[in-house]
Amino acid sequence: MFRSTDTIVALATPMGASAIAVVRASGPDCTALAAAIFGPTPLPPRLACHTDYRDLKGLILDDVLVTFFKGPHSYTGEDLLEISSHGNPFISQLILNDILARGFRAAEPGEFTRRAFLSGRMDLSQAEAVMDLIYARSERALAAANQQLRGSLGRHLGKLTENLLRVLAHVEAYIDFPDEDLPPEDRHFAQEELASVLRGTERLLATHHYGELLREGIKTVIIGEPNVGKSSLLNRLVGYDRALVSTEPGTTRDFIEERLILGPHCLRLIDTAGLNSSPAVIEKLGIEKTVERAAEADLILWVLDATLPCPTLPTSIMPRLNSANTLVLLNKHDLLADHPPTAKPPEGLPALPLSALTGEGFETLATTIIQHAEAFRLDRGEDVIAINSRHADALRRAREGLITAQTKLINQGPVELLSSDLRSALDAFGEIAGKIDNERMLDHLFAAFCIGK
Amino acid sequence: MGASTLLLTGNIDTIAQMSCNPAIGGQAKGQMVREIDALGGEMGINTDLTGIQFRLLNESKGPAVQSPRAQCDKKAYQFRLKHTLELQSNLQVFQATVTELVFTGQKVTGVRTNLDIEFSGVTVVVTTGTFLRGLMHIGQNKNEGGRLGDFSSKTLSASLIKAGVKLHRLKTGTPPRLLGRSLNFSKMEEQRGDASPTLFAFHDTRDPAGLFHVEQNGEQYIGWQPGSHQVSCWMTHTTPETAQLVRDNLHKSAMYSGEIEGVGPRYCPSIEDKFVRFADKPRHLLFLEPEGRSTNEYYVNGLSTSLPFDIQLEMVHSIPGLENAQLLRPAYAVEYDFAPPTQLYPSLESRKVENLFFAGQINGTSGYEEAASQGLIAGVNAVHKVRREEPLIIGRHEAYIGVLIDDLVTKGTNEPYRMFTSRAEYRLLFNHGSAELRLLHHAKAHSLVSSTRLARIEEKKRQTDYWITFFETHKAPAGQGTLGDVIRSSTMGGGAMPEFPVEFSSQSEALRQEVMYRVGYQGYLAREQRQIKKLSQIEKIKIPPSIDFMQVRGLRKECAIKLSATKPYTLGQASRISGVNPSDISILMVLIEASRGGAKR
Repeated sequence: MFRSTDTIVALATPMGASAIAVVRASGPDCTALAAAIFGPTPLPPRLACHTDYRDLKGLILDDVLVTFFKGPHSYTGEDLLEISSHGNPFISQLILNDILARGFRAAEPGEFTRRAFLSGRMDLSQAEAVMDLIYARSERALAAANQQLRGSLGRHLGKLTENLLRVLAHVEAYIDFPDEDLPPEDRHFAQEELASVLRGTERLLATHHYGELLREGIKTVIIGEPNVGKSSLLNRLVGYDRALVSTEPGTTRDFIEERLILGPHCLRLIDTAGLNSSPAVIEKLGIEKTVERAAEADLILWVLDATLPCPTLPTSIMPRLNSANTLVLLNKHDLLADHPPTAKPPEGLPALPLSALTGEGFETLATTIIQHAEAFRLDRGEDVIAINSRHADALRRAREGLITAQTKLINQGPVELLSSDLRSALDAFGEIAGKIDNERMLDHLFAAFCIGK
Repeated sequence: MGASTLLLTGNIDTIAQMSCNPAIGGQAKGQMVREIDALGGEMGINTDLTGIQFRLLNESKGPAVQSPRAQCDKKAYQFRLKHTLELQSNLQVFQATVTELVFTGQKVTGVRTNLDIEFSGVTVVVTTGTFLRGLMHIGQNKNEGGRLGDFSSKTLSASLIKAGVKLHRLKTGTPPRLLGRSLNFSKMEEQRGDASPTLFAFHDTRDPAGLFHVEQNGEQYIGWQPGSHQVSCWMTHTTPETAQLVRDNLHKSAMYSGEIEGVGPRYCPSIEDKFVRFADKPRHLLFLEPEGRSTNEYYVNGLSTSLPFDIQLEMVHSIPGLENAQLLRPAYAVEYDFAPPTQLYPSLESRKVENLFFAGQINGTSGYEEAASQGLIAGVNAVHKVRREEPLIIGRHEAYIGVLIDDLVTKGTNEPYRMFTSRAEYRLLFNHGSAELRLLHHAKAHSLVSSTRLARIEEKKRQTDYWITFFETHKAPAGQGTLGDVIRSSTMGGGAMPEFPVEFSSQSEALRQEVMYRVGYQGYLAREQRQIKKLSQIEKIKIPPSIDFMQVRGLRKECAIKLSATKPYTLGQASRISGVNPSDISILMVLIEASRGGAKR
C-alpha cells in the first residue's frame, strides 16, 4: 500500500566539516542513478566501491566510496545508494545539488525513517518513536525555514509570487472568459512582468549561499611586487589539501586562478602580475589588469618580502586597502633568522609573518582567512539569503518554467501550455513558502478585469 | 442503479426551470456537462435536444480549453426533462413543499410536507437551490421567494439548524427580461451559432434510440434535430447615461444600501458593481439572448441589478437598441441560505446527520452544471449508502466534477462557487472529448450507463489506445522520427501532418480528434500524468474516521485543529488543507500503517 514511487536524496551526515560526508538516495530509481553517475556496470550490492563522482557536466567532483543496497535489504527497505565523499560541506553540497539536478527529489524531514517504517523494516512498537522523530526534524527544518522566510528570502519570494500571480491572472483571464469584453490581450505586459520575475528568481538563486560559492567563491587577489613569492604562496595554499582543489586556467593568460576550500568557505585565488614600480610597456598592461582585479576583490592578500623595505603601491590600489579586506603577508620569514622584518607595512593593516618555502605561518593564515570570510558574509547583512539546497532546487525548477513560458510568450505559443509552464514555476515557489492557492490568482484576475456578462 | 426513489418538488411545472439565463455549458462548465453525460446523466442530451444556438468557446485555442456552450429553449428544456422524469422507471414524482426533515437520533429517516404528509426513506438528498429562506430584493422592495413568482422554503432551515447543520447566506442576481418586438436589433451586433455545432452528449456511444427515448416510450416528443435552425444572440453595450444613472442612484440599490447580507459572486457582478469597481471602463458589453423559439422574451446578459424598478427602466432605455424596450420581468437580487460544504464528506453526505445528502446551491455553488454534477454524485451515493456500498468519489485528477467536490468539502467557499478551468491542476487532461474515457471505470463500477453503451465506450478506448501506440511506434519516412514526432511538430505549428492509414481516417471524427490531441500534446500531458502518479499514493490512502487528530502524537496543534474541522477522507485531501504540511502527512502515514499493521503483521 505504501510503495514509494519516487526516489529521494539527502545528506545523511550533519552539515559542517567532518572526516567523511554521506549523501543517501532511496527509492526505485537508485539503480538508474548509479548507472548515470558511475557508469553502466551494475554496482555489487553491499560492497563499497572506490570510484570517481562525475557530475552532469562530466566533471569529477571527488573520489568517493559508493555502496549500493538492494531492497528490501537496506535501511529503508528500498533500493538505496550511499555515497561517501570527503567531509567537506562544499563537496557534499555539490554532490547533493548534482543529484537534485538529475531530477531526484530532496527528502522531507524524517522521510528515510518513515520509509523504513512503512516498508516494515522497523517494529510496529517503534511507530511512536518514528512519529516523534519526524516531528522533531520537521520542527527544526521549519524553524530554519521560518527564519529565512521572515527575512529577506520571504520578502523577495513574496514579491516574485505576487508578480507571477499577476502574469498568470492575465493569461488565465483569456482562457476562462473568452466571451467577456476583455481588453485585447497584452502579451507585451506579460512579457515584461515575466522578465522581471525571471530576473528576480535569478537574483535569488545568485544569492543562494552555495550557488554563490560554487560560481564565484570569495574573490581573493594576491598582489605584490615581482619575486616576493606570490606564486609560491599560491602553490603552498593550494597544496594545503590538493584533493579538494580543481585547477582552472585563469580567464586571461595574465592570471592564474585556483579554487581553494578552507573550512566551509570556497576561495577563488587569483595570482596577479607583479606590481613593478618601473614597468616596461608590456608589463603596464598587466599592471592595469591587476589594478582592475584588486578593485573587484573581496579579499586582498598583499605579499611583501620581509627582508626588503615596503614598496609603494600604485595610487589606484592603495586607498582601497583596509583592515577588513586586506591581509599583509610578510613572506620569506625563514630568511630573517630571528631579526625583525625589514618590511614595515602601512599602519592599520593586519600583517602575518610566514614562509611559503617552509610552510611556517600557514596554519595561522588559514584561520585568519576563515575569520575574514565569516566577517565578509556578515557584512552583507540582509542581502545574504542563505537558502538551502531544497530551496535552490525549487528555484531552479521555477526558473526553468519561467524560461519556457517566456519562449512561448515570444513565439505566440498555445496559451494553455503557457499557463502550464507558469503554474509549474508557481508550484515551485510554493514548495518554498507554502502552497499557493488558486484563489489568490483569481483575486488578481477579478481585481484586474471586469468579468461578468 | 434501480433504486426506488421519490422526487418531491414544490412545483412540478418548474422542474429544471432555468432561473437565470437559459444557457448550458461555457468554460469548464461545458466539460462538466460532458462528464455528466459520461456518467449517465441527462443534462447533455437534454441540452442537445432543446438547444437553439451552439457555440464552441475558445475554438482558436487548444482542445483542453475548448468548451461547448448552448443557448436553450427554456420551456422546451424544462418540459423535456419533466417528461423524462415521468417516464423514468423506479422514480416517483410528487408535488409537495418539504417543511421539515424527520430525524431518528443523528440519522435522517424522512421528510414532512406542508400538507402534513410524511414520507420515509433510508437516505434523503436535499437540493434547495435559492429557495431556502429565499429573499428577493428590488431596490428597497423585498419579497420572499427563491425565484420571481415562486415561493420560499421557510421552515426547512430551522429543521437543518436543529440537527446541527450550520447555515450562512449567499446572494446572486439576475437581469431584466425584455420583449423582443420592442427591441431595435439593427442597432446591435449579431452573434450567430456555429455552422457545425458541438453537441454535449456522446452520441457515438449512446444508443441512437436512447436519444429519443421519450418518443420511444410512445409519448409525444418535444424537440428538434440537434443543432438545426439555430437562432442568434445580439450584442450591445451600456452608455455614459447608463453609468450616470447607476452612480446617481447607487444609494437606492439593495446591494449598496446594506439591505443584503449575503455575499455575491465576483465573476457575475451587478451593473452597480461594474461601474463602481471599474469606474474607468467607459462601457460594458451586453448580450440579448432569446429565451426560446416559441417566445419573444429576451434575457439581457450583463445587466444584473438590484436597483429599483423605475431606475431599471431608465437604465434599459439608455442602451442602444433598447430605447423603447418593454420590460417583461424586472431584475432582482436574491439571498438564500446555504450550508457551508466543509460539513460534508466527499460523498456529499452530511457529517452531522447520517444518511442526509446535499447537492447544488445549498452547498454554496452557482450554476446549473455544478448543481447537476453534485446531484448526480449525491444521488448515486445515496443509493450506495442504502446498500452499504463504497461511495463514488471522483478524484481531482479525473474530472472537473472531482475538482468541484474536493474544493467544496476541503476548502469550502465564501462566494457562490463557480467552476473555472484554472481550478483544475490537470486541466490539459480534461479536454471535453475525453470525458467518457476518463470516467469509464467509474461508469462501469457503479453501473451508471447501459451495458451496450459501456461496451461501445470500451471499444472506443481500445481504438484510441491502439492508434496512439501505432503513431508512437511507427517510423515516419525520411528520418523524422516516429509518426508521433511528426504529428507533434505539426501540432505545435510546424510542417504538415503525416499521411494517415485509411483505417485511421475512417474512424469517427471524435476518435481521431482525441488521438491527435493525445499524441500532439504528449509532452505536456505526460507532465501532468507524472504529477498525478507522484500524488497517487496518498490520494488512495483513506484516513480511518475514528482517528482523533487532537490526540495524534507529533501533529502540530494548529494542524490538528484544521484536520479535526475538515475530517479529511484521504491523505490526499488532508494534504490540500492549508496549513497541513508534508511532515504532518508523514506522521499520519505512520499512524495509519501502525493501526492497520497491527492486524496484518
